[in-house]
Amino acid sequence: MERKNHTRKLTAILAAALVIATLVLATGCTKSDASARGGKTLYLYNWTYYTPESVIEKFEKEFGVKVVLDYFASNEDMFAKLKAGGSGYDIVFPSQDYTSIMINQKMVHEIDHAKIPNLRYINPMILEKATYDPQMRWSVPYSSGATGIAVNKTKVSSYARDWSIFADTRLKGRMSMLDDMREVMGDALAHLGYSVNSTDPAELAAAQKLINEQWKPNLVKFDAEGFAKSFSTGEFWVVHGYAEAVFEELDESRWGEVDFFLPPEGGPMYLDSMVIPTGAKNVELAHEFINFIHRPEIYAEFLDRFHYPATVHTEAGALMTVQPFYRGEDMAAYELKYDVGEDLDKYNEIWQTIRYVN
Amino acid sequence: MNGKGQERIVKKKRLEPSRLVEEHKGSSGPYRIPRNQVFQDHRKFGFSNIMLVLVILFLFMPLFVVITYSFNATRGMRWNGFSLVWYEKLFFDSKELWRAFGNSFIIAITSSLVATILGSLAAVGIKWYKFKSRAYIQTVSFLPMVLPEVIIGISMLIFFTAVRIPLGMFTIFVAHTTFNLPFVFLLVSARLDEFDFSIIEAARDLGATEMQTLVKVIIPSIMPGVMSGMLMAVTMSLEDFVITFFVSGPGSATLPLYVYSMIRYGVSPVINALSLVLILGIMLIALLFRRFLKTIAASS
Amino acid sequence: MNTHHLQERRGRRLGITYSAPMGLWLTVFFLVPLGIIILYSFLKKGLYGGVEWEFTLSAYQQMFNPNFMRVLFRTLWVATLATCFTILLALPCGYAMARSRNQVLWLALVIVPFWTNSLIRIYAWIAILSSEGFVNEALKAIGLISESLPLIYNQGAVITVLIYMYIPFAILPLFTTIDKFDFQLLEAARDLGATKAESIVKVLLPNIRSGIITALIFTFIPIFGAYTVPLLVGGKDSYLIGNIIVDQVTKTRNWPLASAFSLVLTVLSTIGVIWMMTSNASEKARQKSVVQVADTNGGLS
Repeated sequence: MERKNHTRKLTAILAAALVIATLVLATGCTKSDASARGGKTLYLYNWTYYTPESVIEKFEKEFGVKVVLDYFASNEDMFAKLKAGGSGYDIVFPSQDYTSIMINQKMVHEIDHAKIPNLRYINPMILEKATYDPQMRWSVPYSSGATGIAVNKTKVSSYARDWSIFADTRLKGRMSMLDDMREVMGDALAHLGYSVNSTDPAELAAAQKLINEQWKPNLVKFDAEGFAKSFSTGEFWVVHGYAEAVFEELDESRWGEVDFFLPPEGGPMYLDSMVIPTGAKNVELAHEFINFIHRPEIYAEFLDRFHYPATVHTEAGALMTVQPFYRGEDMAAYELKYDVGEDLDKYNEIWQTIRYVN
Repeated sequence: MNGKGQERIVKKKRLEPSRLVEEHKGSSGPYRIPRNQVFQDHRKFGFSNIMLVLVILFLFMPLFVVITYSFNATRGMRWNGFSLVWYEKLFFDSKELWRAFGNSFIIAITSSLVATILGSLAAVGIKWYKFKSRAYIQTVSFLPMVLPEVIIGISMLIFFTAVRIPLGMFTIFVAHTTFNLPFVFLLVSARLDEFDFSIIEAARDLGATEMQTLVKVIIPSIMPGVMSGMLMAVTMSLEDFVITFFVSGPGSATLPLYVYSMIRYGVSPVINALSLVLILGIMLIALLFRRFLKTIAASS
Repeated sequence: MNTHHLQERRGRRLGITYSAPMGLWLTVFFLVPLGIIILYSFLKKGLYGGVEWEFTLSAYQQMFNPNFMRVLFRTLWVATLATCFTILLALPCGYAMARSRNQVLWLALVIVPFWTNSLIRIYAWIAILSSEGFVNEALKAIGLISESLPLIYNQGAVITVLIYMYIPFAILPLFTTIDKFDFQLLEAARDLGATKAESIVKVLLPNIRSGIITALIFTFIPIFGAYTVPLLVGGKDSYLIGNIIVDQVTKTRNWPLASAFSLVLTVLSTIGVIWMMTSNASEKARQKSVVQVADTNGGLS
């Protein structure tokens, strides 16, 4: 008798704890949903800050809806998640290689051009490079740029303004390159005069040799997360990476100390697009948002935030209030990194010798 | 049992009643086991005390850096004068950040609570009783700790999608509870090892029901383990990025997801400001809670 | 062994009541997903992640890649070193905390720094260890060094920050077990002529064995799988096995290989943990008591 009673009590306690937990969770969920004024909620899947909060707020106000942001830290993470079954987002912001993969894998909705009149502002030059979707049937360009090299001029006076700077033994132990296979391989391929999308074994081997024998010995490390911090503390003098990341870590008064350039030989560039994944619940609203983003004054607000050149938009550049970190023309020789399909394994094998072996 | 073992039990038995009595006085908080008065080695500057202080300094060192930068007038790692600009941004211009923070908080509390209850009970059950599935539960109990996070994340995502549980706060809660369970279970188990069972027998002999034994004897004596386990669970839950990333759904981003996704553009110093606010908040809650506990102790 | 007569009689039912909730939870939410991983490791990799439904052992063959093996040994070395230092530092801390009158305060001090996001704490380490950072400037100020030491972006930095990240996980179980240790035993040992060090090694440590083992498990296993710390504060030579597994899921999109790796690691660590736990149980039978210490000391003097 006593034992049964005990079992029952214990079950009751457990049940109570679970109920409390679920209740708290439920209130946590409904609270965020209930605050949507128009009842509609748009779910964006993006990098943190990539769409400025001020822009989001304007959209919410104008359309009387709520926008909920979720974040990913790399295209690969985002894709792995969607691939394994993650869903519920209305707009995702992948880069070109993953845009094309998502199109191939039929993971995205077709874009209805009638609902996005502002598509007329999209730069035809950028669409020419986007060979996987030149008509914007599946994706709308969001932003484009390239990684470059930042040099601390207070520490380094004479240097080559191209990729060969990483072969400069005087700078040994003061340089870093991105921990990004396609970026670094692409840089080496471009420096050697090949396409950044090369799958030719001989060309890839030459790039491997260049990186392993001439660049890597001078690098402190391959770093995609902390290079800007260490550039700002003076630990690194030359870094390969995103301009916005480098300058974000520095006070504006020190921006003059930095020479940021895109090497003239060319290299890989990126094009982030907006796509509407299949399974999106607010396809209409998603179209409205894409149209909203490409309003010239709104797009200029976004460009200002990151000091980007107006490579994607034909009108917004004139409305910018700040000087971009680099010019759109610098990217003339740059190529979009495409998905290389099965040949990715060739890259992987080479990257192993660069990254796993020291 | 050999002679020595028996001797130990006898000796412990002699000690326990006094422990129990002292515990019931409850004068020094809810779970403190009375300090031993006989073996006096409380030299303030003993080796172990110095080590403890040094280690805590080591643990706080990066935190001091974070707090200092939160008052920096500009971004970056060079000091440019005192300013509250990041605090202003934090309180007036960080809607998304607070939402993520709220989600993290809810998940940490609920998942650590459930993990602590389930884990502690299981530890008691496994250490003190013999039954068929004991070995099975014991083995499965620490596995979530061993499997790499990214694999747990992916497999749970596939699992939730397969059984059609929509991704969101609930799935994050389930995942966090799962990876917290082994920590609570093992901590409480370690506490229970070599526990003196005679006090339980004594309690029963004196007519205590199983429930009374659990509440009055077992729980107080494993409390340090339970507390440590819960603290650890909260910590793990607040920290986790990878598993949360995979099992989160639209609108359920937690603080680590928010912060890690800033990597590409540099993490904003607003996060530094949040750290200090968080620490001060915890201290405040702890103080209030302490008063509350004291009033309870006084009234009983 | 410790189970009493009484408990065995009542035991079956109660033990299941206590343990079933966790057992069920882990079966549903962990073992089932683990099954998916086991299955995946025997399938063909999909071009864009995921798997194709075709049986193959290629994931296991790919594991025997000399590059991977090199990283595996490096990881073992780093994890062993970091774990040893962590435990050695954590032992006196757990001891001091257990003997303190302000246990809750110390517990809070150990844990609270960890409620701040780990990424920004690791960034703070970059600032502390960099060549113009706090440590180097302080050493220069005292005049110990004139040139900055290379403290960041090497194996040493990885180990330092790993110790930092996991030391609370070692302190908590040690504190929890030392706290219930009967300090009269130490006094008795001293009375019987043992030195302080002797009494600690021969009386305290054997009695808190389970705490030490738990601390070992709590630090070694997470450190073995660590990947953000080597990524952020490591150099060219700091790639660890955790990084490889993450890479297989995201960068190279080879889920079967990641599954195979995880499975092998899981099996190995499971064997390790079970071995430690059972050796702990058998050791308990021979545990040293005050009497034994007295015997040995008697023999020596």
